[in-house]
Amino acid sequence: MTSTSGLSLPIPRASLLWLLLAQGLVVMPFLQHIPGTIIGLWLACTLWRVQIFRMRARHPGAWFKGGLLVGTAGGVYLARGSLVGLEAGAALLVAAFVLKMLEMQTRRDALVLIFLGFFCVVVGYLFEDNLLWAAFTLLPVSTLLAALIGLQSSNSQGDSLKLALKLLLQAVPLMLLLFLFFPRLEPLWSLPQPSNKGLTGLSDSMAPGDMAELSKSAALVFRASFEGPIPARNQLYWRSLTLEQFDGRRWSQSLRAQTVQVPQWEKRGDALSYSIVMEPSGRPWLSSLDVGESNLADVRQMNDFRLQRRRPVEQSLLYNVTSWPDATREAQLNENIQRQDLQLPAKGNPQARQWANDLARRYRKPDALAEAMLDYFAREPYHYTLKPPTLGPDSIDDFLFESRGGFCAHYAGAMTFVLRAAGIPARVVAGYQGGELNPDGQYLTVRQFDAHAWVEYWQPGVGWRSVDPTAAVAPQRIEQGLEQALAADEAFLADSPMSALRYRNVPWLNSMRLSWDNLNYGWQRWVLGYQGQEQLRVLNRWFSGLETPAFIGGLGLLLGVFALWVFKPWQRESDSQLRLFNAFERLLARHGLRRLPGEGAEEFSRRAALLLPGHAEAIAAFTREFQAQRYAGHTSSPAELRRRLKQLRRRLPWRLSAIKDTHDSR
Amino acid sequence: MIELLKPFWQRWLARRIPPASRVELDHRRIFIMPTRTGGSFALVLFLMLLVAINYQNSLAYGLTFLLLSMAILGILHTYRNLSGLVLSAGVARPVFVGETVQLTLRLEGGGHDHQAISLGWDTEQLQQLNVPGEERVEVELTLPAQNRGWLHAPRLRVESVFPLSILRTWSWLDLEQTALIYPRPVAGAMPLLKGVQPHAEDQGLATQGPGVDDYQGLRTYQPGDNRRRLHWKAYSRGQGLLVKDFTDLSGHDLCLDFMALGGDIEERLSRLCYWVVVLSQRQQPFALRLPGFLSPVDSGALHRETCLRALALYGVRS
Repeated sequence: MTSTSGLSLPIPRASLLWLLLAQGLVVMPFLQHIPGTIIGLWLACTLWRVQIFRMRARHPGAWFKGGLLVGTAGGVYLARGSLVGLEAGAALLVAAFVLKMLEMQTRRDALVLIFLGFFCVVVGYLFEDNLLWAAFTLLPVSTLLAALIGLQSSNSQGDSLKLALKLLLQAVPLMLLLFLFFPRLEPLWSLPQPSNKGLTGLSDSMAPGDMAELSKSAALVFRASFEGPIPARNQLYWRSLTLEQFDGRRWSQSLRAQTVQVPQWEKRGDALSYSIVMEPSGRPWLSSLDVGESNLADVRQMNDFRLQRRRPVEQSLLYNVTSWPDATREAQLNENIQRQDLQLPAKGNPQARQWANDLARRYRKPDALAEAMLDYFAREPYHYTLKPPTLGPDSIDDFLFESRGGFCAHYAGAMTFVLRAAGIPARVVAGYQGGELNPDGQYLTVRQFDAHAWVEYWQPGVGWRSVDPTAAVAPQRIEQGLEQALAADEAFLADSPMSALRYRNVPWLNSMRLSWDNLNYGWQRWVLGYQGQEQLRVLNRWFSGLETPAFIGGLGLLLGVFALWVFKPWQRESDSQLRLFNAFERLLARHGLRRLPGEGAEEFSRRAALLLPGHAEAIAAFTREFQAQRYAGHTSSPAELRRRLKQLRRRLPWRLSAIKDTHDSR
Repeated sequence: MIELLKPFWQRWLARRIPPASRVELDHRRIFIMPTRTGGSFALVLFLMLLVAINYQNSLAYGLTFLLLSMAILGILHTYRNLSGLVLSAGVARPVFVGETVQLTLRLEGGGHDHQAISLGWDTEQLQQLNVPGEERVEVELTLPAQNRGWLHAPRLRVESVFPLSILRTWSWLDLEQTALIYPRPVAGAMPLLKGVQPHAEDQGLATQGPGVDDYQGLRTYQPGDNRRRLHWKAYSRGQGLLVKDFTDLSGHDLCLDFMALGGDIEERLSRLCYWVVVLSQRQQPFALRLPGFLSPVDSGALHRETCLRALALYGVRS
């Protein structure tokens, strides 16, 4: 097909208007992710294009277009610092999309613009993939389609859109089938990922103030669904990482933690199975309950029992974990680890060290020592606050013996320090604690303000044991959550007055919030998380119960119904007369009688009657009926005609094939 | 290679879509193939799929599959846009060689709307129109008339890429459209029958046909005129070549004769054609004699048509 019909024609008005609208809708999800200059460029190009359409401006010249292109690329480079990478690439793509609109003259250009638009929508999904944006993209997709249809149609804009929507709607069943069954491949090659630099979350080093920052954020961290009952809230310690290095001020992840070394542990007791959908964190570690094992191939258990992925989590990730809460962890401790977990700065905090010596002398067993510390925290006037007073250079001493007020990071840090000073290997565990139960969906939602730090210490033969000093000071934090643990003068989420989480006491608002959250979780789990192993799991669950023949039969039935719906064989019934006449012809042909070209039914049957005089009556009867129905306007009744044909067939001697000597009149 | 395959293709087409003056487009007559735009669309879909795979993005998968499903459904929609369309050939007015034939085509919707239907003789020059479901649309296609006789229109191409531009349905139809092409009229001396008076009994009809009896005046020389009648005196005065014109005073009717002319058959027919047209215009009765054809002396549109038809079809095997 060499035809280029119509591609160089100008663009119809209906299509152009749809294109202008579609462009705005396509660009919208990118607004937060592309430099402002491109937004300006978009507005200018749209305005110009409208002026061209109103015959008030001319198309830009070649030099001007070239200049714009170079200028835009330069602008992107200045804004993003590079022309590679996902953000810069997306910005360039959108810029090309915007500039093409200005340059567009013929239908071929319009097609390029439309296809670019579809591609932009797909790239937009890499930045915004939540339910609302996904629903929103139906708008640009349908307007782009309307523009595509408008290129061919001279009808009104409304008709194009109507047809576009109809097409989209009809395409949905097939799309769902493809979506379910198309095998999800592993990434073919690695591409620049969307960067999540601005994300809040746990980091690999912790000064006490960082935790307080996190507690102001209601951002979602992950949602977890359990197979079976959800454990009690005070059992929900989600380990993310351990902080083993102390420099007198900050706790940070030790270098040792990055070395690959499989930890020793024994499964014991009942296992917990749950799946987690986590939001992008920009960090490689995954949250899990102790001691967790994941199903993902690129996730491994590190030597401090955290789960770590090979690459940072840049997109929402679904993973399944099985945890053994009662497992024994490292009955024998590697010397390196022991040395690391006894590490302390050479000097500083003399009071705390002194206290540790006293405790060590008094309590031989580490368990007893830890118990005594918790008792001390509970007994003495320690309090839980997100606004602790500023601490001096000996921060542990100041906290333990002066201010006596702080939050989880203070307590965990101080306790670890004292344990180490008493000769017990210990470390700070950072992660999340608790989570909000969604009663509709039966899952837990963990947010940044659930961030928590606790302590684990080691003793020979028993292994690691977790202990939470915060629980001794403020049991409400563990039993109920941060909001309940805070004193009356410290408002929960003080920096975000609009957060629906602040209005949990308004029942209808709260139930609406929870339902919306549930919907989003379903979206993440069943749509966004429908990848690789999840697909296998779902398909297995669906089809393992069914026999394969039943499945194939069902699919056949479905296709059959579809074929019926498309071809509508019942509509052919109207021309059954002709079909019966054809059968009549075939019947006579087997007896050597062929209808000549141009020979009418009447003439043919007369000739047939002459050659088959014995059946003249039956032949004439059929022909009469046929003519009466077809030409004389009698009510058409195929049954009657069929009956006549049957009579004739029964009277004629049966023959399989035509006899050789035909009775043509030639 | 393509040239080699052409006869096979033509034969196959003739079997598959036999000529008929009224054709309803159905699945036997409609072909469908992706267009080049369809190729680009496939490429875009492939790129989108690559994004979906490499970023493991379900929404990208979803949109890719949505557009793919739509393209597949587009096969049905594009097919349906052409199917059910009824085309029938109208009557074409005869023209002279060198003019263009106007071939009328009637299109009926047959129940549902057909949009952006392109019609034409080849893929390069197509005209586009919409055919509403319940209406009848007439469209005129032109063909250059190059040769005398019957002009058989080539197969008509009917195509549409509506609605998605990514698929093209088309059909090649032979609507048995024919047009009669008269010879090209070429001016010249009137070729009159000599010696025979076809209707000697008709008397007293004033004629102005050229003859030898009565001097009529001078007229400019045309090739083929008798040189003996050249007006040399006028030529010497610098008035150009003039011929002394005589009128036949015998009073019989004009009879244009093929044998009165010399030269190529086509030239002779052209000359006769010219005089048929001129005499008909003057509403002057005449007869036309061709080998194997003799028309009575007559005038009027019907007579003119009979004569022109005879000229057009002279020597043409029907």
